[in-house]
Amino acid sequence: AECHDHGSPFQGRKKGGNSFRDNFDKRNCYHEHGGYERPPSHCQENDGSVEMRDVHKDQQLRHTPYSIRCDRRMKWHSEDEICITTWRKRKPPERKMRQNTQDGYTRNWFKVTIPNGIKYDKSWLMNSIQSHCSAPFTPVDFHYIQNRACFFIQDASTASVLKDVSYKICDDENRKICIFVNHSTAPYSVKNKLKPSQMEMLKLTMNKRYNVSQQALDLQNLRFDPDLMGRDIDIILNRRNCMAATLKIIERNFPELLSLNLCNNKLYQLDGLSDIIEKAPKVKTLNLSKNKLESAWELGKVKGLKLEELWLEGNPLCSTFSDQSAYVSAIRDCFPKLLRLDGRELSAPMIVDIDSSEIMKPCKENFTGSETLKHLVLQFLQQYYSIYDSGDRQGLLGAYHDEACFSLAIPFDAEDSAPNSLRKYFEDSRNMKTLKDPYLKGELLRHTKRDIVDSLSALPKTQHDLSSILVDMWCQTKWMLCFSVNGVFKEVEGQSQGSVLAFTRTFIATPGSSFSLCIVNDELFVRDASPQETQSAFSIPVSTLSSSSEPSLSQEQQEMVQAFSAQSGMKLEWSQKCLQDNEWNYTRAGQVFTMLQTEGKIPAEAFKQIS
Amino acid sequence: SFIQHCYQLFDKDRTQLGAIYIDASCLTWEGQQFQGKAATVEKLSSLPFQKIQYSLTAQDHQPTPHSCIISMVVDPIMGFHHMFLLKNTSDAWVCTNDAFRLALHNFG
Repeated sequence: AECHDHGSPFQGRKKGGNSFRDNFDKRNCYHEHGGYERPPSHCQENDGSVEMRDVHKDQQLRHTPYSIRCDRRMKWHSEDEICITTWRKRKPPERKMRQNTQDGYTRNWFKVTIPNGIKYDKSWLMNSIQSHCSAPFTPVDFHYIQNRACFFIQDASTASVLKDVSYKICDDENRKICIFVNHSTAPYSVKNKLKPSQMEMLKLTMNKRYNVSQQALDLQNLRFDPDLMGRDIDIILNRRNCMAATLKIIERNFPELLSLNLCNNKLYQLDGLSDIIEKAPKVKTLNLSKNKLESAWELGKVKGLKLEELWLEGNPLCSTFSDQSAYVSAIRDCFPKLLRLDGRELSAPMIVDIDSSEIMKPCKENFTGSETLKHLVLQFLQQYYSIYDSGDRQGLLGAYHDEACFSLAIPFDAEDSAPNSLRKYFEDSRNMKTLKDPYLKGELLRHTKRDIVDSLSALPKTQHDLSSILVDMWCQTKWMLCFSVNGVFKEVEGQSQGSVLAFTRTFIATPGSSFSLCIVNDELFVRDASPQETQSAFSIPVSTLSSSSEPSLSQEQQEMVQAFSAQSGMKLEWSQKCLQDNEWNYTRAGQVFTMLQTEGKIPAEAFKQIS
Repeated sequence: SFIQHCYQLFDKDRTQLGAIYIDASCLTWEGQQFQGKAATVEKLSSLPFQKIQYSLTAQDHQPTPHSCIISMVVDPIMGFHHMFLLKNTSDAWVCTNDAFRLALHNFG
C-alpha cells in the first residue's frame, strides 16, 4: 500500500504518528444499527471529525499501511470475539476530549459482559449479581450477542464493584461466572434518546391508543401512525431507544396496564421488551402476532410476565414446530399460567410453578406430568430404602447433594421420657421446641453429604415397609420437588428389635444422576407407631400409595404371586415384580429367579424374614 | 415464632391467614391440593374445628436452596403433622407451600 496521491513515503509521517495513535484510541466497536443484536459489517468509526493539522489526513487514513493494520485490528475488535478494549488506558489528549464530547462519549459509561450469559435465566443472573453488590445499580440496555449477555452501567464505583463480582457467583454446575467490565460509550438507547418533543408526541399518540376501561394499549403498526409520521418521528420498536422510550411512557402513564398489543411492528428480537417485566408487571395479555420472531427462545426474554393470553400467529417461529401440540407445550413452558394462545382456549395446566419473579435457575429437565413424577419418586424411594435397610448406608452418598441438609426430631423433651424404642434417636434429635443450645442446633443439622451419611449410618438398623407408605407431593417447581413420605419401619436388631416405629420424612430434591433424585433437604420425624399402624403394616402388601398408578392384579395373577412367594421365599412385592418382568410366565420367572439367586444378585431384603 | 403467629391467626381469625400466603401458594391438605392464596384461606377457614389445642411437641427446620426455610411441626396429641416451605420476600416471610396430614389417618 503506497500513498498514491503524493510523493512522500509514509516514513515522513512520523510527526503525524501522534494522530494515527489517536485514531486508534478512539476506535470503538459500536453498534449504531438499531440495537445490539447483529454485528455490523464494519465498526463505526468516530474519527471523522478529528481536527488534524496534517493536510494529508485523508490520505493517511485510507492509503497508509497503518490504516490497513487498523482495519485488521478493527476486525479483531469486532463483536465476533470477546471484546476487550484494552487500549483505552491512556489519558486522552486535549484534542480527543473535544472530539469525544462531540460524539456523546462520556467516560461514565461501562459495558458489562458475561460470556455464556445466554445460558442463565436473566432475572436469576441479574439478581445474583445485584446480591453481591453493596449498592443497587441500574442495568441499561440488557441484551444478548451470540452467547454473551451484556448491559451498561453508569458510574465508576459501580463498575469496580461489578468487576469484583467476577468469579464470585457459581452457576448450577458449580462453575464460577466471569464478568468483564470495560469503559464504553453511552448505550444506544441513551445516545439516541428521544428528544422531549418527540417523547411528548409519542405519549399523546399512545394515549389515543389506550383503552381505559380495558386497560389495554394498542400499539400495532406503531411506526406508521399518522400522528408520528406527520411529525417525522420514526418509532421503530426494534430499536432500543424507541422501545425504551415506549416502555418509559408505559411505566409513567399506564403502570397498571393489563393488555399490550404489539402486532405488526416487525419485531425480530425481544431484548428491549424484557424491561416490561419491571415497568408494567401486571400485563396479562400480550399480542406479538405478525412480527418477525424466529424462535420461541425469544419469548424467554419476557417470561417474567404472568401471561394468561398470548398471540403469536404470523411469526416465523410458529412454523418451527412439528405440530400444534409441540407448539402449545413449548409456549406453555415459558408461560405456565397461559389460558389462551392465538385465541384458542388451552386445557388446564398440570403443574403450578412457584411465583416466577423469584430467583429461579434455568430448568435442566422438564417434568412433563404428575404421572411421571409419581413414578420418579417411587422409584427413588425404592432405591433409597433398599440401601437404607441394607445394613450399609454408605451407598446413599450418591443420593445427596454436596451441600444437603439433614435433621431428625422425635417428640420428646428429655431422654427419660422417651420410650425405649426412641432412645437411640434422641441423641440426634434436633427438636427446636426443646433444644435451646444454639451450638447443638447447629451441630445437629447435618450438612454435606459426608456428614449426613455418617450420621445416618449411626442410626439403628431398620426395615421399612414400602408397600404401606403414603407419599405427598406438595411442591413442584421446575427445579425442585418437595414430597413427604409417611410410613412405618421396624427395628431389626438390638434391644428394641421388632418394635415398629412410624416416621414422616420430608425430602426436597432436584433431578439426580446416580439416583433419580438428588436430595437437598431431608427432615425426618420419628415416633412410636400406633397399634393401628403396627397392625396394618408389614402385612400382605395392599398398595395404599396415594400415587399408585399400577393396574390392579387379576385373581389369577394374585394367586401366582402368592404361590411364587411361597416357593421362592421372596416377599410378595418382589415376587410380583419378578412375574411382571417375565410377562406372567410362571416357569420363566422361576428360571430367572433361580439364575439370579445363584449369581447372588437378589438383595437380602427381597426375602421374607423368617419369623 | 412464625409458626406461633400462624397458629394464632388460625385460632383467632382465619381470614387473616391470607397475609402469610401468596398468590402462588399451594396447600396440600390430606392429599388434596389447594392452589393460590384464595383457595388456601378458604380451605383453612372452612375446617370444622374451631380452636386447636396445640401441644406442639416437635418442631424442626432447615434452610433450603433459594433462601427458603422448610419447617416441620408435629403434634401427636391432636395427631397432625404440618410442613411449611417459607420464603423471605421483601422482608416478610410467606408460606409458599404447605402440607398437612392428620397422623392418625395415615392408614385409614
